[in-house]
Amino acid sequence: MITIPNECYYIIFNNLQSDYKNLFSCALVNRHWCRIIIPILWSDSKLPFKDIRLIEIFILALNVQEQALLIPFKIILPSHPKPLFEYTNYITSINGDIYDGIRNWFHFGGYETKWLENSIKCSLIAMFLRTSKKLKFICLDELICNQIISENLSENTTITSINLKYISNDFKSEF
Amino acid sequence: MDNGTSNSASENETITLKSCDGIEFHIDARIANRYTLLNNWNGGESACIPNVNGKVLEKVLEWCEHHINDPQLNCGDDDSRRRNTIIEEWDENFLSCDQDMLFEIILAANYLEIKPLLDLGCKTVANMMKSKSPEEIRSAFNIDNDYTPEEEEQFRKENEWAEDY
Repeated sequence: MITIPNECYYIIFNNLQSDYKNLFSCALVNRHWCRIIIPILWSDSKLPFKDIRLIEIFILALNVQEQALLIPFKIILPSHPKPLFEYTNYITSINGDIYDGIRNWFHFGGYETKWLENSIKCSLIAMFLRTSKKLKFICLDELICNQIISENLSENTTITSINLKYISNDFKSEF
Repeated sequence: MDNGTSNSASENETITLKSCDGIEFHIDARIANRYTLLNNWNGGESACIPNVNGKVLEKVLEWCEHHINDPQLNCGDDDSRRRNTIIEEWDENFLSCDQDMLFEIILAANYLEIKPLLDLGCKTVANMMKSKSPEEIRSAFNIDNDYTPEEEEQFRKENEWAEDY
């Protein structure tokens, strides 16, 4: 195959945007294509956040501070090796489905505690605000607003839209 | 009437283009005016196109001539251009060439900044990849797999969700 510049590959694979299955096949062709496709795949604005396989990848991206929120609950975090990419760096949009995904992950793991669920939400949102450098939209659920999230939100410069639908007016006034 | 284009050259004006291997083409000056393809053109009667050979330049100019009266897109229309997945019949036939030529056209369109042709070529390649397994794509484009088995397995684990949507 004739060598073409990366910007041409980028245009080619952008034609497959949101076509996850085909992007997945193309990314498996070789490492070069994979490096171009992963940012396209993971920056899609309609990622299936309800899928627990995504939640597991996100949990792997938690840093020590974010993991510390979960220590009191003695849960077993996924034990995969370090991911090949920092997938959360590419996320551009987080919709309310993420909270269903977290719930699904809990049911799958046999956990029930409401407070634990909120701690996971808190850790993940704090992690997204820290790592997702292209984040434009985020949906914030109730009860997950704490100091880490407030700090990370105030440092974020890319978000253009926040859905605060379920959040009390007291917290909204802090923005 | 300029048919929505902003060409200032008139219909009868021609200029001579010379490919990197010395082949000359006499083209409607409106084509030269329309695309920034002629960065080396100083408005005179001839211009040289380095990096594009005669065979490829002939195809590129054939496309430009066919589309000379297309409305011009604004720079901000990148997304809408790319989202349009329909390829016109003429364009489809035009790009039904061998694979090397298709990639040569993409390269030339990129080099000459003919964005609609670049998008068209890239869209055609993307369509060739659809509904194929990684192995089928490698075979279609003659590409070697350079993943280690461990890497490939890890990649599959981390991204297998994408197969289900």
